[in-house]
Amino acid sequence: MTLAIEMQNLHKRFGDLHAVQGVSLTVQAGEILSLLGPNGAGKSTIISMLSGLLQPTEGDALVMGHSIRREPEAAKACLGVVPQDIALYPDLSARENLLFWGKMYGLRGAALKKRVDEVLEIIGLVDRQKGRVDKFSGGMKRRVNIAAALLHKPQVVIMDEPTVGIDPQSRRHILDNVKELNRQGMTVLYTTHYMEEAAELSDHIAIMDHGRVIAYGTHDELIRLVGEQTRIDLTLNVDAGRVLTAWQQVEGVSRASAQDGLVTVLVDDSNRVLPRLFEAATAAGARITGVDIREPNLEAVFLHLTGRALRD
Amino acid sequence: MKLIDIALKDMLRSFRSLFAVGMMIVAPLLITGLIYFAFGGIRSEQPDIATIHVGLVNADVPSADVPSANVPFNLGQMLVDVFTDAGVADLMTARVYPDVATARAALERQEIDVAVLIPTGLSAAVLSGEPSPNTAVVILHDPALSLAPQVVGSMVTSLLDGVAGGRIAIQVIQERHAARGLALAPAQISTLIGQYQTWYTDFLHTLFYNPTEAALRLVAPGVDETAVPMSQILGATMAGQMIFFAFYTAAYSMTSILREQEEGTLARLFTTPTDRTIILGGKFLAVFLTVILQGAALMLFARLAFGIRWGRADSVLLALVAQVIAAAGLGVLLIALVKNSRQAGPVLGGGLTALGMLGGLFTVGIQGMPAFFDVAALFTPHGWVLKGWRLALAAQPPDALLLPFFIAVAMGAVMFVLGAVLFRRRFA
Ligand SMILES: Nc1ncnc2c1ncn2[C@@H]1O[C@H](COP(=O)(O)OP(=O)(O)OP(=O)(O)O)[C@@H](O)[C@H]1O
Ligand SMILES: [Mg+2]
Repeated sequence: MTLAIEMQNLHKRFGDLHAVQGVSLTVQAGEILSLLGPNGAGKSTIISMLSGLLQPTEGDALVMGHSIRREPEAAKACLGVVPQDIALYPDLSARENLLFWGKMYGLRGAALKKRVDEVLEIIGLVDRQKGRVDKFSGGMKRRVNIAAALLHKPQVVIMDEPTVGIDPQSRRHILDNVKELNRQGMTVLYTTHYMEEAAELSDHIAIMDHGRVIAYGTHDELIRLVGEQTRIDLTLNVDAGRVLTAWQQVEGVSRASAQDGLVTVLVDDSNRVLPRLFEAATAAGARITGVDIREPNLEAVFLHLTGRALRD
Repeated sequence: MKLIDIALKDMLRSFRSLFAVGMMIVAPLLITGLIYFAFGGIRSEQPDIATIHVGLVNADVPSADVPSANVPFNLGQMLVDVFTDAGVADLMTARVYPDVATARAALERQEIDVAVLIPTGLSAAVLSGEPSPNTAVVILHDPALSLAPQVVGSMVTSLLDGVAGGRIAIQVIQERHAARGLALAPAQISTLIGQYQTWYTDFLHTLFYNPTEAALRLVAPGVDETAVPMSQILGATMAGQMIFFAFYTAAYSMTSILREQEEGTLARLFTTPTDRTIILGGKFLAVFLTVILQGAALMLFARLAFGIRWGRADSVLLALVAQVIAAAGLGVLLIALVKNSRQAGPVLGGGLTALGMLGGLFTVGIQGMPAFFDVAALFTPHGWVLKGWRLALAAQPPDALLLPFFIAVAMGAVMFVLGAVLFRRRFA
């Protein structure tokens, strides 16, 4: 198998902040690799280094065999980059934007026009192509933002959280686009902090935290890291923080975290531990209003590895 | 190629922005227009100037009463000659009527706009230096007209003043001679008068060589004879506005790089296989092209709207090139020193206005500014660009513009290089 991207001990420091600390991931040609991690994990910094926006403090990376340090232009020509924040000209139409970005990738004339038509078809905005981008909804902007990276049919597409802050319909459209592009042979490096997206799309997932890759594997391999543990989701009638520390002390609980009023607890044996959780809640003056015993997921994996929730 | 694509994209964005077009083209025209109308819309009377119909009634008789001279002095005929002179032919038509009654009738029928009535004894009265109400030249005119009577009146006054001046001159000469116990021979006096008449006719020729210009000079309110003609004031005012907004436009166009940085499109450009030097080059090219287009458009509109004659094509080209390079240079440098587009606003508004003031852009029509401003203007690119335009507007040949041209271009080039180096450090 050929390697589309090969990161070799990438480091990035911003002054005292060590944003990326020795990442050596590889992306196989034709696969989808997801970088999954909480805010500030270093996902965007890695992408900035791969796409030539930032110089690595240390290490190197090869994109289709081209070193980002020594042959940045060649590396960039193989890449399509979808930035995390929408990077389009708001006062130009969708079509004008795409024509311009196509030219920046060296496309011209009839070939450019044809390719813009194709890409508009892919993102489903043929009807709205003449509209100014600043008049578009968030989801439509996101789709144009992606389209601009596809014009030159790059071998590798890097997408940095392409579904942030949009409606479920647009999100569905984008995820289907990614799968379709991948089916046609495009390699995708995808970053997200939505575990469901990583689970649905990826051949491999790299979980990142504090600038390091803390786990790498297929979805199933990662889930197995949690071992025989069971995940219990509980809801409370009071603020989750009141019982969280108490529950973390309960025997048989390996990890507990709270977010959005939902407490996730990893336990060895739910039959044995559940009554103790009720006792501890009562002692803290809280009442449990809902209990769900579920299969472990990537959220549970992250909790298992770090003791924190993915979306803090 | 990508360089041009980037520049064209920037220009498309600029010219699509109402605000930008307003500041680039509408504002300078509007301001000059306000000044233009404040002075009463000079050109609307121009057709009037071109067709002044003058009627003349010459009742004067040549005066032989020149002290010791035998040449008759014929002031009435000189006045008639002034109006029938070929030099004023495209400004006015002149007809001589036999008496006042027929001239009045012609005025009532509107065959003529102005009637000039030359009284009997005018020559004698002027020569003696003792004019009376009976010997005054009377100008009758259609009350609806204001410009034509002024023009005619001024021509009459010029001649009479000139003759009176000549009389005094001859008197002084005679007195000097008399004081030394000499007397002028009659032949000498007649030669002197002959010479004076020749000189004075020439003088009037020169004065009315360009009748339109002379007429404009007469009607410019509050402007005395030595002042710059109104058409030139309007041209210089427009030049001042054009220069100010050219500098503004250059800096505004350059801020697009800051906006792109904030919009994330600059970073996206950097992820494409495009050399950063080319990206910067494209942005710089957009600045130059925008200022060139703006200058050309303003000159054209100003020509059409206000009839401003910018000067000889080669001189105009020099002035425009100086303006483009100076404006682009300062624009690039200013924005290189600014962190973000929010900071750019006050820098453009405040900094460029202050520099424009020092450069004299807003005081072009005002005479007798404190000398400090003349000196200050030498230190601003604006001042030198304005000097270039003033010379071009005065129909000077290109070599007259070389000094301001080279100084403005040198200032612009230095600032551009500095700015480009700063931008390269920052982005490339
Ligand atoms: N240009 C920069 N200068 C200084 N610090 C930076 C810079 N860019 C990123 N950082 C820091 O580096 C760390 C990693 O940031 P990064 O944007 O890579 O995280 P991320 O995983 O993409 O997060 P998110 O999910 O919020 O996008 C953060 O602490 C961030 O504040
Ligand atoms: Mg990010």
